[in-house]
Amino acid sequence: MVELRAQEQQILSAIDTQGGKASVDQLVETCGFPDAAVMRAALTLQEKNLLTIQAATQNIIKLTAEGKIYAQNGLPERKLIHAVAEMGGKADLREAAKKAGLELQFVQIAQGWVIRKKWAIYASQDNTLNISEAFLHQVIIPEGCDETLLKHVCSKEQVVLDDLSDVLKDAAEQLKKRKLATIEPKTSRVLKITEEGKKAAAEATTAAPEVTKLTPELIITGKWREIKLQKYNIEAPVAKTWSGKKHPYLSFLDEVRAKLVQLGFQEMTGTAVETSFFNFDALNVPQDHPAREASDIYYIKDPKYGDVGSHATALEQVKETHQNGWKTGSTGWGYSYSLEAAQRLILRGHGTCLSARTLEAGKFEVPSRHFSIARVYRPEITDRTHLSEFNQVEGIIIDENLTLKDLLGVLGKFALEIAGADKVRFKPDYFPFTEPSVELSAYKEGYGWIEFGGSGIFRPEVTQPLGVKVPVIAWGLGVDRLFMMRSGISDIRMIFSQDLDWLRKKQVT
Amino acid sequence: MPTIDVDYLELQRLLNVNLNGDMEKLDDILAYVKAEVKGFDEKEGSASIEMKDTNRPDLWSAEGLSRALRGYLGQEKGIKAYSAGKSVLEVNVNANLFGIRPYICCAAVKDIHLSDGIIKGIMHLQDKLDQTHGRSRQKTSIGIYNLDLIKPPIEYTAVKPSDVRFVPLGFDEKMGLDEILEKHPKGQEYGHIVKKNSLYPMLYDSEGKTLSFPPIINSNDLGKITEESRNLLVEVTGTLHKTVLNTLNLVTLALIDRGGKSYSTTIHYPKGSKYTENTIVTPDFSNRRFELNVKDTNRLLGLKLSAEQISDALMTAGLDVEKVAADCLTVLVPCYRVDVMHQVDIIEDVAIAYGYNNIEPLWRELPTTGKAKPDQRLIDVARDLMVGLGYQEVLNTTLTNQDALFQKMQVPPTKIVELSNPKVITMNCLRNWLLPSLMEFLSINQSVEFPQKIFELGKVTLLDETKETRTRDEDWLAAITAHPNASFSEIKSTLDSFMANFGVEWQIKETAHPSFIEGRVGKVIAGGVEVGVVGEVNPAVLEAWKLENPTAAFEINFCAILSYKK
Repeated sequence: MVELRAQEQQILSAIDTQGGKASVDQLVETCGFPDAAVMRAALTLQEKNLLTIQAATQNIIKLTAEGKIYAQNGLPERKLIHAVAEMGGKADLREAAKKAGLELQFVQIAQGWVIRKKWAIYASQDNTLNISEAFLHQVIIPEGCDETLLKHVCSKEQVVLDDLSDVLKDAAEQLKKRKLATIEPKTSRVLKITEEGKKAAAEATTAAPEVTKLTPELIITGKWREIKLQKYNIEAPVAKTWSGKKHPYLSFLDEVRAKLVQLGFQEMTGTAVETSFFNFDALNVPQDHPAREASDIYYIKDPKYGDVGSHATALEQVKETHQNGWKTGSTGWGYSYSLEAAQRLILRGHGTCLSARTLEAGKFEVPSRHFSIARVYRPEITDRTHLSEFNQVEGIIIDENLTLKDLLGVLGKFALEIAGADKVRFKPDYFPFTEPSVELSAYKEGYGWIEFGGSGIFRPEVTQPLGVKVPVIAWGLGVDRLFMMRSGISDIRMIFSQDLDWLRKKQVT
Repeated sequence: MPTIDVDYLELQRLLNVNLNGDMEKLDDILAYVKAEVKGFDEKEGSASIEMKDTNRPDLWSAEGLSRALRGYLGQEKGIKAYSAGKSVLEVNVNANLFGIRPYICCAAVKDIHLSDGIIKGIMHLQDKLDQTHGRSRQKTSIGIYNLDLIKPPIEYTAVKPSDVRFVPLGFDEKMGLDEILEKHPKGQEYGHIVKKNSLYPMLYDSEGKTLSFPPIINSNDLGKITEESRNLLVEVTGTLHKTVLNTLNLVTLALIDRGGKSYSTTIHYPKGSKYTENTIVTPDFSNRRFELNVKDTNRLLGLKLSAEQISDALMTAGLDVEKVAADCLTVLVPCYRVDVMHQVDIIEDVAIAYGYNNIEPLWRELPTTGKAKPDQRLIDVARDLMVGLGYQEVLNTTLTNQDALFQKMQVPPTKIVELSNPKVITMNCLRNWLLPSLMEFLSINQSVEFPQKIFELGKVTLLDETKETRTRDEDWLAAITAHPNASFSEIKSTLDSFMANFGVEWQIKETAHPSFIEGRVGKVIAGGVEVGVVGEVNPAVLEAWKLENPTAAFEINFCAILSYKK
């Protein structure tokens, strides 16, 4: 037995009872489903060979506005002949027209049709109408085909020309000529039941009732046994569900953090607003260095100055180092150091200030490893390769006897563990606070070479004034570039993307 | 980082290497001096080279690059020697310059043949030195003159601006000094350097003809160099003697490299003044001496190099070694290597000459314990909870603007961390709460399918007089739901679920908050303390952000609720 949904069943039965053939419009009327629902069911039924769908062009009759009025009030000739009848079968045309309530412009039309329909004879010598012999003794002059059709079409709004008898077809042409009706072709779909369809329709009337939704009541009462649950079209598209997800870049940073923790690094934190002392001075950046110009670092408007009073020893030693090298063996920068410039508040331009703070505070073990994931700020115009605000992953390693070999080893380890690199390459690099300094490029199959990190051994001008007597390796990783490479994005602004659609569709990794 | 433009063919000729347009090969060579190719203009035949080392002005010309690289390319080792002939010119410095722009150093360069290309190259170097090394002419500025037009001795003095008029370079009428500051493009650019003093620096020759108004502009008569000029005077003024001398040396060397012969000048500083020396002869191409300890070198590099190996590497790097003992070397550093401040700078040169890629990397297993920051675990737990509640995590910048923080949110402005030098007005302060960021996020996503549910757990910055940086950063959490049926009860239910799962007991207390609808907003109370706000967003706020859907939100001080966690 063929499985049918309730709607499909009903439609099949309707076609069957309408003689095995029905237009979609007819079915909309008889079954009460919307047009689209009938078509959907029809397509399914056709697929199951229960019916065929044919496109047929039909001529459709509709009444004009004038036609509708006549359908309700009667044709003008009908009004005129009634008046004549009431006036004794013979009447003056003008008086009859007046009695019939015809407006002047319709009198001639009415007169013409009365004569053409042979309802009356016109005597021109006395301008009178005389009812024809045949109708003289009848109470009502019988309705003409045109009038029948007029009423029929009015009640149905539209009628298919081919459905009419030949007489009525002629009447339709007449109405059209009188501009009381229009006849226009329209393509419509006709459903024709097949032999199999007839069988299915017969079986359906005896099947169990079909139910769309399983309800708690059906389950509790056990009625589910008596009903049949409708089958769904499981291939039909459904509404999207958007999962809550972590931000892809923050997830990536989580991963980097986990790796670093696993490699024995502990996390350092600090504030976005920093003193120039820790961001620059303590890192051997002289107070007139271009990196401290307003084009390179954000300055705070108010309050302008922080307080480095609790770091008096470091302050004094850093000052001496800048001015004349202090005890570090350096020539120093040879200028006059300003406390005001040291206390000037800025938005930190790199995460290295956190390393400087860790060293200055002296709260570290030897050996120890530290890292930070810091939001940093630079006055850049944001474009596809620049951000004004971004994250830096950097840190330090403190131990006796650290050498350039360790420096290369640390970078190599990061390239392997964090970037998953196949090979690495080292180049000389420059930072004001490290010497020697190294740049790391990592190569990964399919991605090519990327500059992945920079690193160096802190200069004695940095460590000694902060009270550190062992070598310190400082490193920083180009994690943004790594993230972009992995996510297949070429525009760095995507890191802070406010495109919800992108975030929703981004696959988790 | 300084970027210089060099004539590519000229550089290739000077380097004596056939590059065949291979920029990667050039990059590999430039790596020795921490420089890289940033661009190549084939039509102009010019390469744009970026210097990572801001402290190596000796590299900022094609000649300088070839001088530094010739050892690494195996062509010529050790220091390139330069000398200056005996003094040909005297300069007298007036005591009134002290505290204004006290130092001057000069050199004469004779018999030079200037082409248009050479003049351009010299001007490029002069500009780079003025901008970077000279800190935009604040610290040092360079002037070059036609020596044949000058009658020595030269007077360096400070004058009252109203007393002097001369024709500045590029103009044809005499102008007063303040007029120059006002009207001349260079005056407008650098006027601030001299304006802080009542006297302005001036250079004259013995006949009272103006050489220049340092550091602003040369005179149009003496200070104009053409292809016909054969003999030049180079002058550098500034605030720091060492930097002034270094700058003079660098410019003079560049002119020698281009075929000139240099001669000394004698600078007389006033006697009995605050100047430490009275008579100085410049330029000064003498080398500096550094003692280099072999043990220190090997300790920093992790290598076992002999004194001879170190010496050889240093020669490759363009330094000289005067004396080699088993444990110590006396290293000569040329005058143009102004970057060398400490023994470590020399040790790095040893490493570069040895080759970074010839050193075996070492990863030591150290007994250190890794640890994320104290709140990180609970931050992650909170983010997981919000994700579980169906919220998408978003990431916004902490830089924002007052219109977003206050006006659009209908709240009165409070004091926040503002920037003195914002780059764009939409990023001129740090956020002090998160909801504006989330509202902005929604406003950008009006065409994206609803419901929209987003959250951010991020930093806000608050002013705090008690702190060193006068601020403190806190982690806050904000969440927002926007769709046709979003309501107070929905967001309250979300917050309740978050708090219950997180283990914080909380109450709600009616409050008034202009960002939210009256009667549909409450204070979030934990441990008797207000820790946040929850409510249905005021339609006036929605309108300000051009949002069309009902929106409900909460924002809590995440750090604060940590302490009330059971």
